[in-house]
Amino acid sequence: MVIERNTRKVTKGVKKTNRKNLSDYGWAYLMIAPTILGLIVLNIWPLIQTCYLSFTKTSGFGKNQWVGLDNYIRMFSDSSVMHAVINTLEYTVISVPVGVIISLFIAVLLNSKIKGKTIYRTIYFLPMVSAPAAIAMVWRWLYSSDYGLFNYLLSLVGISGVKWLTDPNIALISVIVVGIWSTIGYNMVILLAGLQEIPKSFYEAADIDGAGPIRQFFAITFPLVSPTMFFVVVTTMISSLQVFDYIFMMIDKTNIAMEKTQSLVYLFYKYSFITNDKGYGSAIVMLLLIIILIITVVQLKLQKKWVHYQ
Amino acid sequence: MKKSIKKFISIIAATVAVSTLVVGCGGTNSTGGGAKGDVTLTYAIWDKNQKPGMEAIAAAFHEKNPNITVNVEVTPWDQYWTKLDAGASSGTLPDVFWMHSSNFLKYANGDALMDITDKLKNSSDVNLDNFPKDLVDLYTAKGKNYAIPKDYDTIALWYNKTMFDAKGIPYPDGTWDWNKLLEVAQKLNDPANGVYGFLSPVDTQQNYYDFIYQNGGEVLSEDKKKSGYDKPETKEAMQFAVDFSQKYKVSPTVQQFADTSRDQYFESGKGAMAFFGSWMVSEFKANEYVAKNCDVAILPFGKKKATMYNGLGNAVSAKTKNPDAAWKFLEFMGTKEANAIQAEKAAAIPAFKGTEQAWIDNNKQFNVKVYPQMLEYAHIFPNSETRSKWDPLETQIFSKMWSGDISVEDGCNQMAKEMNDLLATEQ
Amino acid sequence: MKESLKSKKIIIHGILIIGSLAMLLPFIWMIITSLKNLTESTQVPPTIIPRQFKFSNYKDVWDLLPFGRFYLNTILMLIFRILGSVFFSAMAAYAFARIKFPGKNFFFMIVLIQMMIPGQLFIIPQYNIVSKLGLLNTISALVIPGIVSAFGTFLLRQFFIGIPNELEEAAILDGCNRWQIFWKIMMPLTRSGLIALGIFTALFAWKDLMWPLIVNVSIDKMPLSSGLASLQGQYSTNFPQLMAGSMIAIWPMLLLFIIFQRQFIEGIASTGSKS
Repeated sequence: MVIERNTRKVTKGVKKTNRKNLSDYGWAYLMIAPTILGLIVLNIWPLIQTCYLSFTKTSGFGKNQWVGLDNYIRMFSDSSVMHAVINTLEYTVISVPVGVIISLFIAVLLNSKIKGKTIYRTIYFLPMVSAPAAIAMVWRWLYSSDYGLFNYLLSLVGISGVKWLTDPNIALISVIVVGIWSTIGYNMVILLAGLQEIPKSFYEAADIDGAGPIRQFFAITFPLVSPTMFFVVVTTMISSLQVFDYIFMMIDKTNIAMEKTQSLVYLFYKYSFITNDKGYGSAIVMLLLIIILIITVVQLKLQKKWVHYQ
Repeated sequence: MKKSIKKFISIIAATVAVSTLVVGCGGTNSTGGGAKGDVTLTYAIWDKNQKPGMEAIAAAFHEKNPNITVNVEVTPWDQYWTKLDAGASSGTLPDVFWMHSSNFLKYANGDALMDITDKLKNSSDVNLDNFPKDLVDLYTAKGKNYAIPKDYDTIALWYNKTMFDAKGIPYPDGTWDWNKLLEVAQKLNDPANGVYGFLSPVDTQQNYYDFIYQNGGEVLSEDKKKSGYDKPETKEAMQFAVDFSQKYKVSPTVQQFADTSRDQYFESGKGAMAFFGSWMVSEFKANEYVAKNCDVAILPFGKKKATMYNGLGNAVSAKTKNPDAAWKFLEFMGTKEANAIQAEKAAAIPAFKGTEQAWIDNNKQFNVKVYPQMLEYAHIFPNSETRSKWDPLETQIFSKMWSGDISVEDGCNQMAKEMNDLLATEQ
Repeated sequence: MKESLKSKKIIIHGILIIGSLAMLLPFIWMIITSLKNLTESTQVPPTIIPRQFKFSNYKDVWDLLPFGRFYLNTILMLIFRILGSVFFSAMAAYAFARIKFPGKNFFFMIVLIQMMIPGQLFIIPQYNIVSKLGLLNTISALVIPGIVSAFGTFLLRQFFIGIPNELEEAAILDGCNRWQIFWKIMMPLTRSGLIALGIFTALFAWKDLMWPLIVNVSIDKMPLSSGLASLQGQYSTNFPQLMAGSMIAIWPMLLLFIIFQRQFIEGIASTGSKS
């Protein structure tokens, strides 16, 4: 009896699947079409062009000479490129975990029952709308070894003259601080949206069960916000690997800390737009892309371990 | 099902319709104007301070040529070159635009600029003899002219009168040599108050290049085939520039300069003397502190008198849709009349010999006449096809030299080698 | 119980206030600098309180630049970018999250790859495309790079994934097709996500400086970001004016955020009927 019923269900299922599948495929392709087409034309095609450029030596405008792997060979024996890889990875490894955890913490606080949420959220959002010139000016002042606020405060407790932006061993950390600071508001907004999706009823039930806030966080909040967390971690990691703006704005060309701070995108910019070496710059960005690709694929594989999908 | 598809399509259609509306009311005609024969040219520049001057020239031109209108467009320096690069790659450069020596060869050799050699020879309005020869040559590539000089700049010695007065030291008067410069710098140095005697950063045109040529050295050989950095005279000069911060401690270190710019030091009364180019005059005019407390004098000399000079050029796009009109405008800009307008209104010394007076008169609060005075022994900015590649190396290597990580001897030798390798690849 | 709740709240406020100070610093700096005169703004050591409050910087920069035009161009650019990217991304995100179809992973990789590419790479190729379309120096030029969004697709996909399957299955049994499910059920449920994406799209577009600068040259076609950049000279920038201008330019974004973040709070009301 049971076997019969099961077979019937299966046959019905198969029939439905066929019709449903075709309609599903149709809708799926239709729905992804505008985005995919747009991305191919606007973004993937330029990528292919850049890939091609990486195998050429560029001169003038459009006069490219095929040189095969020359740029890549030069790149692997170029110490400043290798340093840039280390700088970029160091930047990412520190700023992603620290930044995401702080953002999650703030988002959770701003999702709780406290007064003045709107004001706080707007304040945390402010760095994102402040003029980049103002951000650079402020941090450069804070970090200035002779006239800056940090060294002034330190001098009050007897520590003198830290070279925040000009000491090769410290400069990268100083930039990381600014990087983390600038992404808190950004990640907070996304995580707040994710937290809002969690029904309050779950928390109420947990309260009734007598679970404390920390237990509630790990049992309810974290699993249910993990798809959003995954997004935040992946995007923060990708944008950290692409760091450029703050290095460009805060590290002067004559800064001797440059070698230990410059990132791969900075080098790409330098070679493609300043020294007129688009072929070499393209090779550097291809290297970066491969690094990002590997890291992202690893994250995608790992997501099954910690991301809770329903 | 049908309803849904209909809805889907109608939404897409609506988006497209609205977009076309936006496209429709957005498009502009950049060249080729309304009435028959009327032409509109785009003239691209990067300095908003000079816009009034350029617009005045455009207006004067329009009076003589009522069917040609020139639109002056300003793009800030940082983005100007990216934009020009994009324009050259896609064949959509502005009709006429400013050129800078540092980027000139890239555009000339890349066939992005109109070859004006023959036009110049046949022109009755423009005579290249009216411009400093080095400047004209700066804007030639492989023997052909691609731009007409627009202005020139030289470097002079700025000093803080108030500090001199406080210590009873007479102002620089053009008789100073290197020893005198150092001596006064040491007298005015005041570490207790954070004041430096002479600000000596890692800067080419506004610092060590001047010392190099004053000492009889060179950055690049005359035939542009060899680097001048391994010459003893050059190394001596570099040592002198470095010693201000390293040995005599009368200048901020390279690390301090990375935090606070030389301009800031000088404008805040933290530096007694420094070399600045004539382009800084308009900024200094607007700065209350400098206007009140500072003035400018002729550079000190080493074994000989020397100052760096450079200048901008005006060029026409090789692919402009209006070659005749664009050339006419370029031609006009090379006349005495246009240069006189420039001197009157703009922040730069016009390239046409003899038109500087208006510029001097416009900046009476400072002793700016020293700038044109030094032109007679000025050395043109060293430029070569691969400059964009060895220029960053100068910054990199010399920053380490300034900080003491490498010696002047080693740094200069390294730079000479890298530079020679690059020069060897030039045609 | 009440006591510990109170002290908990005080601690939370304490942490948030310290964090707020750090967040506010550049904003305060913008205001202070906008009230200084030019000379004072470049002084070292910098002054915290302007010696004289130069409110005229605001009037000066307002007269100098056509802010009305900048606002209009910016708003147009934002509206179209938001409409395009939110709508197209939501559609694609739903398909990626909920529909099984051949080639799904391949197409999703395209989405991810776009995000991995540094933006500087796109500038010249996109400029070429816009110039070939004859759209240089137009509002459309400002909109084109942002009309589809890989970021948005990825973001919304995560939101759609977080929605329980049961709702969808119920709808399918009811005879709804994919589009109806998408439009009538999924979209309302991810309101927070859509709003977040809208805010981000607006933010990225509003902040973008390099693209508007190279693609639109006439001052009347510039949005706020590049319009303000025309205050930058080659060697010197009037920082007080630039800061005053930036303060004037901030308000559309702040207002947008304040209005929409109230929607965040209400977000729960519509998702209450989840289970």
